[in-house]
Amino acid sequence: MKKLFLKSGLYVFLILIVLEGVARIFHLGKDTPTRFLDEHKVEKWVPNQNGFSVTGNRRQNFSEFHINNSGFNSYREFTPDQNRIEVALVGDSFIEGFHQDYYNSIGKKIENDLPKIEVYEYGYAGYDFADQLHLIYSYKKQFDLIDHVILGIKFSNDLTRDEYKVVTGRLALDTPINKLLKKSKLLVYCKSIGLLDPPQELLYKTRKFFRSKNPEKPLDEQEALRIKNEKEKTYLANFEGLIDKYGYDKNRFTLLLDSRITSPIFISYLEQNKFKYIDFSRSFENSKRSTTLIYDRHWNNHGRTLIAKVISTYLKKKNTGDPK
Amino acid sequence: MLFNSLEFFIFLPIVFIAYWYIFKKRIRAQNIFLLVASYVFYGLWDWRFLFLILASTVVDFFVGQAIYSNDSNTKKKIWLWVSVLFNVGLLGFFKYYNFFINSWVDFVSIVGYDIKSTWTLQIILPVGISFYTFQTMSYSLDIYYKRLTPTKDFISFATFVSFFPQLVAGPIERASNLLSQITSKRTFNYVQCTDGLKLILWGLFKKIVIADALAPIVDDIFANYGSYPASTLILGVSLFSFQVYGDFSGYSDIAIGTAKLFGIELMSNFKFPIFSRNVAEYWQRWHVSLSTWFRHYVYIPLGGNRVGKLKSIRNIVIIFLVSGFWHGANWTFIAWGAFHALLYIPVFLMGRNRIYMNNVVAENRWFPSVIEIFQILITFSLVTFSRVFFRSESITDAFGFLEQIYSNFTFETYEHPLGYRMIDYFVLLGVFVLYEYRIRRDERSPFKFKSKIVRFIAYALVILGMMLFFDDNIDRSFIYFQF
Repeated sequence: MKKLFLKSGLYVFLILIVLEGVARIFHLGKDTPTRFLDEHKVEKWVPNQNGFSVTGNRRQNFSEFHINNSGFNSYREFTPDQNRIEVALVGDSFIEGFHQDYYNSIGKKIENDLPKIEVYEYGYAGYDFADQLHLIYSYKKQFDLIDHVILGIKFSNDLTRDEYKVVTGRLALDTPINKLLKKSKLLVYCKSIGLLDPPQELLYKTRKFFRSKNPEKPLDEQEALRIKNEKEKTYLANFEGLIDKYGYDKNRFTLLLDSRITSPIFISYLEQNKFKYIDFSRSFENSKRSTTLIYDRHWNNHGRTLIAKVISTYLKKKNTGDPK
Repeated sequence: MLFNSLEFFIFLPIVFIAYWYIFKKRIRAQNIFLLVASYVFYGLWDWRFLFLILASTVVDFFVGQAIYSNDSNTKKKIWLWVSVLFNVGLLGFFKYYNFFINSWVDFVSIVGYDIKSTWTLQIILPVGISFYTFQTMSYSLDIYYKRLTPTKDFISFATFVSFFPQLVAGPIERASNLLSQITSKRTFNYVQCTDGLKLILWGLFKKIVIADALAPIVDDIFANYGSYPASTLILGVSLFSFQVYGDFSGYSDIAIGTAKLFGIELMSNFKFPIFSRNVAEYWQRWHVSLSTWFRHYVYIPLGGNRVGKLKSIRNIVIIFLVSGFWHGANWTFIAWGAFHALLYIPVFLMGRNRIYMNNVVAENRWFPSVIEIFQILITFSLVTFSRVFFRSESITDAFGFLEQIYSNFTFETYEHPLGYRMIDYFVLLGVFVLYEYRIRRDERSPFKFKSKIVRFIAYALVILGMMLFFDDNIDRSFIYFQF
């Protein structure tokens, strides 16, 4: 029996080493750049990192990222100047674009369409509207030099806070233990393909079994509607609170949104209060090809091309003085 | 509890260690422990159905003794009927009741009557009922045919009925094989254990990599057959052949391997049926425990092939129809069985039904002959064709599927429903078939390599394959659980 355990243990150990090697050689697991909090308490990536983002069991999506001096994924450095036309794209992982080669990003696609302008992509996974406005507020001098600022916003996700606070949970992803664990490409790979979900689920179920005595009752329709309306009111109040607190230049700032998933109340609020916005919903709706990746809901190359086109069209119109 | 779940990988080592460390000194203690473990294993699905297993166990335990202790043949027969009626009654109620009612209503409506209220019930099919009822029945039948003396040890008998590795989907064991091992002392055997672990690994590969990876494609093609051309439908049913083979033979390998960990040898259930050279050989290699069950307990008692040609043909038809019906309460399975009877009868009449019983394709050779390749392809195509009935939801769907192949006989490249690369699956299947061919002589030794390094590489590749094709979002239960 001892022999069985010893040999099995040895085999498991050796197989793990081989698999770690395979995961490294074939780059099956994604690289995660290191994050940090700068002097303005803005969370971003540590500058000058390179790596590859991988999605899918069999590397179905493989792309390179490059973190520039400003701490964002971009092929160019952000050096705004009064003599050039610059556009800033501010947003979450959709703008950050780890799912596509950094030299083929939304910004690059816009630049290809409008060669005279420079696009700076301030994208960071998890950024909500508070993060975005706080970033602009913290780097006011830099942003004041930028001609157009486009802020990606998802009404249901991005307005849950009325002021910026450091998201400690996100920073905790870079604790020494997590950093150490991320060094194992095999572990990163297993996590990304969901192989570690069953143990986590089991742990969750066990905890729930011991803790919860009164199972949550499903909400009836009226109650669900009431909660939804309440949330929408709060989000709208948060939007107002955030722009009051950190400032919002209606002339230069434009929101980028998908009206299919945005509350009509918010849209009519924007229209009534003359907030400019770009709605890409029609462009996505008319697309015959899929606009998202296979393994996650982020935009694929086609989706990004459509977004770039929508923004370019908007900018072209804006420069000719054409009202929205 | 599924073999391919985390719960099982926590459950198995605990049971294994307790079995060999805590209970190893007394067989009775080991058997009680195995019984409790088996009931826990089953009870985690639905504890209420444990009473059915218990009832089936109690009935056949006493029926076995009654058959044995009675001298009168009539009384023996009566007791045998008690067992058969009880077990078939369980199956009839839980598995076939609604089918019979609905078929009766359909039949009556064809004649011109309209029955407004039917008495169908909302019945959940207890997992494994078709397997353990057949296993307990075989015990009473063996005693009746004087092939076996009944056990007086209820615990051992209950363990035989509910032995968890094979409880829910076989192999359907005979008491002469399994019960005799349960009543004898088991000693820990290192080689047996490692063989068991290897079989578990290979079974998991077949389940996770072959069956589960193909499932979304097969599901998509069968669900939307009306909108696909013939090339896609043929692809779908061919992939289903591999899916069902990977799923069920994978389960059997894990069951046999798990039993080995407890010092118990179960019978083989699959012997590389994809390399069968005719339909008769296919049935000697596919779901062996069920085929032999029907041969021993239905076909031979009916006279087998020792009666005239016509009666033999009748017996073959009965066997295949019953076998089809065993799979499920649906006309599709009966059609599937009938189709196999039609395939088998010519082979039987030509006297070629037993010619491949004791050899494998390319016996003593590296490569099969051209004729063998041709035979394998023909057999695979015919068996695959029959799977249209096996997989379709209804007879109408099955004929709709075939009609679509005929009416839309065009070729189009198929795109995976989730957008994955199809080439990955073709390469995977190619490698799998070649590997199965390499190991075709011994279904119990999937990693038979002289070199330790090669063996180690094979383990690593198999695990890597599981990771490359693992899909957390699909239903991981085994196809044969529904039977």
